Amino acid sequence: MSLAELIGRDPDATTLKLWLEKIPYAVYLGMEAELHDNDILFRLPPDDKLIGNASLPAIHGGVVGAFMELAGSIHLVAHMKKPVLPKIINFSLDYLRASRLQDTWARCEVIRQGRQIANVTVAAWQEDPGNPNATARAHFLIAEPENSKENSNVPLET
Amino acid sequence: MNSLTLEEKLRVVKMMGEFIPHTSGLGVELHSIEDGELTLRLPYQQQLVGDAETGVLHSGALTVLLDQTLGLSAVCSNDIAPSVTPTLDLRIDHLGIAPPGSDIFATGKVLRATRKILFVDGFAWCDAPDKPIARATGTWVRVMDIDLEWIKSMGRGSA
Repeated sequence: MSLAELIGRDPDATTLKLWLEKIPYAVYLGMEAELHDNDILFRLPPDDKLIGNASLPAIHGGVVGAFMELAGSIHLVAHMKKPVLPKIINFSLDYLRASRLQDTWARCEVIRQGRQIANVTVAAWQEDPGNPNATARAHFLIAEPENSKENSNVPLET
Repeated sequence: MNSLTLEEKLRVVKMMGEFIPHTSGLGVELHSIEDGELTLRLPYQQQLVGDAETGVLHSGALTVLLDQTLGLSAVCSNDIAPSVTPTLDLRIDHLGIAPPGSDIFATGKVLRATRKILFVDGFAWCDAPDKPIARATGTWVRVMDIDLEWIKSMGRGSA
C-alpha cells in the first residue's frame, strides 16, 4: 500500500507507524510518533549518526529542522478532513539552544488550513516542553490531486 | 579582516566538515570556494528519499545541506575572521523539486557581517546554479573567532 493510499486511514498509532515506515528519510532519522490524548507527539531518538557537533555532542541543527518538518507534514495529514500529500512551500526555523544527544520531541499545531494552503507551527524540546530547543513554521500546499497541475509549486516547464 | 588564503579556506572547510559526523557520514563534500561563496555537494542516496514512489529526496535533507553550507560560508567571506557560528534562524523557500538521482549542490555567501551577527544568503541547485531548487536566508551568531595562527599551522608539515 502506498503512502498516498495510507493517508486516508484514521491516524491511530498503527497508521502513524505505517506512514513513517513508508518515508525512507523518516526511517533513516529513526523518527517515531506516539498518540497522547488525541495529540501526536513525535520523537527523534538519539543516534550517533545525527551528531553535528562532536565536541558537545549535539544533534545537527539541520536534522532537528528536518525532524520538525516531517512532524509538521504528518501532523497536518492526520488532521485533514480529505487528506492529500502536502507539498512544502517554505520553512522557517528558529534555533533557541543546541540539541543534546538525547530524545528530542516535537508537537505541531495547524494554525490555519485553507483550501490550498496550510500554516503549521512546530515546537521541539528535549526535557521540558516549556523550554523549546527550536520552533518552526511551515507553509504547505494541500491542493487536491486533480488540481495539482495548476497549483503545483513545481515549475511548469520542467 | 579575513587573512586566509584560498588554500587555507579550503583546508578549514574540509577540516570543519570532518568534525561534523552527520554530514560526513552522508558524504557531503566541498565543491568549491569562489569569490567568498562556498558550495558543498550532497550525493543522491536512497536513505534521504521523502517519496518512495518518485525517488525525490526529502526537503529535510536540503535543510541539513543549506544549514551546513550557509553556516560554513562564514569561513569563506573575505571581510571577516573565521568564527564559531551557531545558527540563529534559517528560512528555506522550496522553488522546485530536485530531480530523482541528482546530487544536490548548495551555495552560501555572507551578505553582511556585524560584530555579533552574520546575515547569510544561499540557494540549492542540481543542474546549474542559475536554476535554483531552493532559496535560503538565515542569521548566524559569531560566538568566538577561530585562531588564525592555529589554522595556518595546521597545514604546515603536511603533504
